[in-house]
Amino acid sequence: MAEVQTIHDVACGFCGLGCDDLTVEVEGRDIRAKAPVCPEAARLLRRLDTADPVARVAGEVNSQADAAKAAHHILAAARAPVIGGLGADMAGAGAAVDLAIRFGGVLDHYASEGLFRNYAAAQRTGWLSTTLAEVRNRCDVLLVVGDDPAATWGRLFERLFPATPLFAGSNRRVIFLGGAPGEKASAQLAGANVVHHASTDALAALEALGSLIAGRRPPGTRFGGIDADTLAGLAEELRSAHYAVVTWNAADLADGELVAERATALVDRLNVTTRAGVFPLGGRDNIIGVNQLMLWRLGYPLRTAVQGQASSHDGTLFATEAALTDADVLVWISAFRPEPPPDFGGKIIALAHPDTVFDKEPDVFIPVGTPGVDHAGTVFRMDSIVSLPLGALRVATLPSVAEAVRRIAEG
Amino acid sequence: MRLRLKGGRVLDPANGENGVASGTVRDIEIEDGRIVAATDLKADAEYDLGGAVVMAGGIDLHSHIAGGKMNLARLLMQEDRRAFPEMPGNFCGCGGGRAAPTAHATGCRYAELGYTTVFEPAMVGANARGAHLEMADIPNLDTGAYLVLGNDDYFQRLLAAGAGQEQVNAYVGWMIEATQAFAIKIVNPGGINAFKFNARKMDLDEANPHYAVTPRKVLTTLIRAVTELGLPHPIHLHGCNLGVPGNDETTLATILATEGRRLHLTHLQFHSYGTEGDKRFSSSAARIAEMVNANPNISVDVGQVMFGQTITASADYMSQYRNRAIASPNKSIGMDIELDAACGVVPFEYKDKSFVNALQWAIGLELFLLVEDPWRIFLTTDHPNGGPFTTYPHLIRLLMDRDFRNAQLATLNKQAQAHTLLAQIKREYSLEEIAILTRAAPARILGLKDKGHLGPGAVADIAVHTEDADREAMFSTTRMVFKNGRLIVKDGVVVELAQGTTHVARPEFDRSVDKDMQRWFDEAVGLKSKHFRIADGELRGGAGPTILKCEGVAS
Repeated sequence: MAEVQTIHDVACGFCGLGCDDLTVEVEGRDIRAKAPVCPEAARLLRRLDTADPVARVAGEVNSQADAAKAAHHILAAARAPVIGGLGADMAGAGAAVDLAIRFGGVLDHYASEGLFRNYAAAQRTGWLSTTLAEVRNRCDVLLVVGDDPAATWGRLFERLFPATPLFAGSNRRVIFLGGAPGEKASAQLAGANVVHHASTDALAALEALGSLIAGRRPPGTRFGGIDADTLAGLAEELRSAHYAVVTWNAADLADGELVAERATALVDRLNVTTRAGVFPLGGRDNIIGVNQLMLWRLGYPLRTAVQGQASSHDGTLFATEAALTDADVLVWISAFRPEPPPDFGGKIIALAHPDTVFDKEPDVFIPVGTPGVDHAGTVFRMDSIVSLPLGALRVATLPSVAEAVRRIAEG
Repeated sequence: MRLRLKGGRVLDPANGENGVASGTVRDIEIEDGRIVAATDLKADAEYDLGGAVVMAGGIDLHSHIAGGKMNLARLLMQEDRRAFPEMPGNFCGCGGGRAAPTAHATGCRYAELGYTTVFEPAMVGANARGAHLEMADIPNLDTGAYLVLGNDDYFQRLLAAGAGQEQVNAYVGWMIEATQAFAIKIVNPGGINAFKFNARKMDLDEANPHYAVTPRKVLTTLIRAVTELGLPHPIHLHGCNLGVPGNDETTLATILATEGRRLHLTHLQFHSYGTEGDKRFSSSAARIAEMVNANPNISVDVGQVMFGQTITASADYMSQYRNRAIASPNKSIGMDIELDAACGVVPFEYKDKSFVNALQWAIGLELFLLVEDPWRIFLTTDHPNGGPFTTYPHLIRLLMDRDFRNAQLATLNKQAQAHTLLAQIKREYSLEEIAILTRAAPARILGLKDKGHLGPGAVADIAVHTEDADREAMFSTTRMVFKNGRLIVKDGVVVELAQGTTHVARPEFDRSVDKDMQRWFDEAVGLKSKHFRIADGELRGGAGPTILKCEGVAS
């Protein structure tokens, strides 16, 4: 029996919130997270003392080396590869970009839909934003648009609402515009003054709120199910806030693009007289870090094709689903969680979490270790500013994405 | 490995050698990446320089090449990236761009101009890890970064609580080490912080609305801290009121505030504006240059404006929020960052027919020409804020060629022409002075003893230019560039990529501050201080930094 080791201050790279105070028990290869931890981190950190799956080529058991060779052959013959998933740490992301440079290919992350909905606003007009520690200490009025984000970011409100913020005072206001706060959010916000305005159309309500803040009363009595006077009251609250923050999860909102745009405009208007910032939610599986790396390496964000000695970017054409319609090979990378590849008729090379369940056996399957579990690595937090060093919790028996990709490139 | 560069005219002001003036040629010998005294030993390779001009590799002490704000610039200005695609035949997959070039393009374009060392002047602590990852992907250049300090709430709280200098020094030392920084930069001292409390401007003696701390106090305290910690580079200051007409008074007051201690004023051009004339915008370059000349403790870089499209990226969100009204194209990004600093990213097109932009151009050149000591002024455009670094050859010609300069001036906005002394200034920079501005002087002010010169022991970072009376042509292309003794550019084309190093400074400090830093990060920031700290092994893909140990001085 291995001894139980308790490791404190473990950094977590899954949801993008970047909690780094987890306590984890490790017993040999068995891993179990203790409080403080959210359900998602607990689930994704949980490891049993079982043997790793081995690499497979066409469903047949193979060595890592031969699987890498097979993947190399497939890529060498590929006409239009897509390098998707991209759930990898910074080293893995760099290797994936190198792979695209070597063999050509479209680069996209599986969770990029929300990011690009936000970018519709960020690239057209720009925006005035803020980061976690600023929200945590300054925000006196927080406007949450859409559904309660605590379902996805389990400790969001705990992180944003500490017992004694530096500047925000004791009577912090949280306005839920859309879905109601769940039990978890309510508990974490026990010290705040929380109000919920149910809305079936948060966009319409947000739009009206923006007009009211700008000093225009839009025609109509109700917007998204909220009456105009209530919204006028909210507008006044936001205008008189010292530091208002608007947050939303674009991935979860069908009209996330427009929500991002209206929130941006609203915050722009507030900043004329007071201070405010947008705090867009996202950041799963280091999507922000991969995107950052692509910006400094290629000059373009995700959804970029590298081909014929040049890169080009198209947020629609090079989204995974669209790119796959024209692709013959999919390199699927998912090291953080067993996210299966999308439906695809061409060849699939999967550098994937060992627990991945495939609908269709990939042509090559190379199980990879998880950053922050099997090996060290760096990931970015959702705000794109802070990045965290993840440590290894146990001895690695599987290669990292960076190692696996390097072996493929070498063939 | 021994190399011999044969028959060059050596221009090495740090060692008092001027082969251009004397017409003498000599060989330079390199052994294992360093310059050595000449020997008779057989070389592994020889390069015939044919009388070309040989200088140390260029050192840019202020150029925004990495960090979150540059990525925001890339994101916001995709048109810049599209307009400047990959260079043919020089592809390793790493993009292009001009105002906001990719890491690869940055390393290659700089190397083609003969530069081998560049410092990122505004690294935000919260973003330091990302900035270092990005710098590791810049080929051909050694880098380093100045940590933005003075607007962070930890520091403001220290000052508000009346903390002693020793406590401040310990904090500064801790932050330098934790973020793997080389020097301290102050951006709009206290102004970025004040903007978070909704102050819209901040003068040198104006109190922070929350902490009641003045920029003067921030500045003098940090000047003392870097002095006592023994950091080689003085405080690198982006002063108050950037871009505001009338900021000349602030700049003069700032110089006086130093009371003779060393201070570097960065992008001085943006801080040299008077309020005379119909448009209430005028040049104060002459006044300010006179003050710089009279105060040997002051060094400056210019931040020359070059006409055309660029994008401005600064930690000075207070100023950039003001500037977003004149963004072109009309979009901008601002961000408050982590109780630490902020950033503002605003695209801008400097137009030669605009009164203000033309006068900015003239003010920058006036400063270059009126500041007398070439050892205390550095050639910068504050890339990309005044213009991309790729405009340096044009700027060098403006400095070296009076007829060319006046011909350019004659094409600009007429009113601006009437508001500048430039046409009357006769000075032309010599090649030696250019070598001082771009090599010898930056090495000296950064305390890099083995750079910026060609004496034995120096790192073999070497640029070879074929002399040309058209100085823009001469400096646009290099005949050869060596990085650590490896040929990386030949006839203006990158032939090999070298991995650079990152310079960091390591002062001694009172480590008992660590406990308070842990508490601050736990309670206020909501992050563990140990995760904020960057390990040596995180730099340069595991290679770690090049460490300059600092000798503190007794207070």
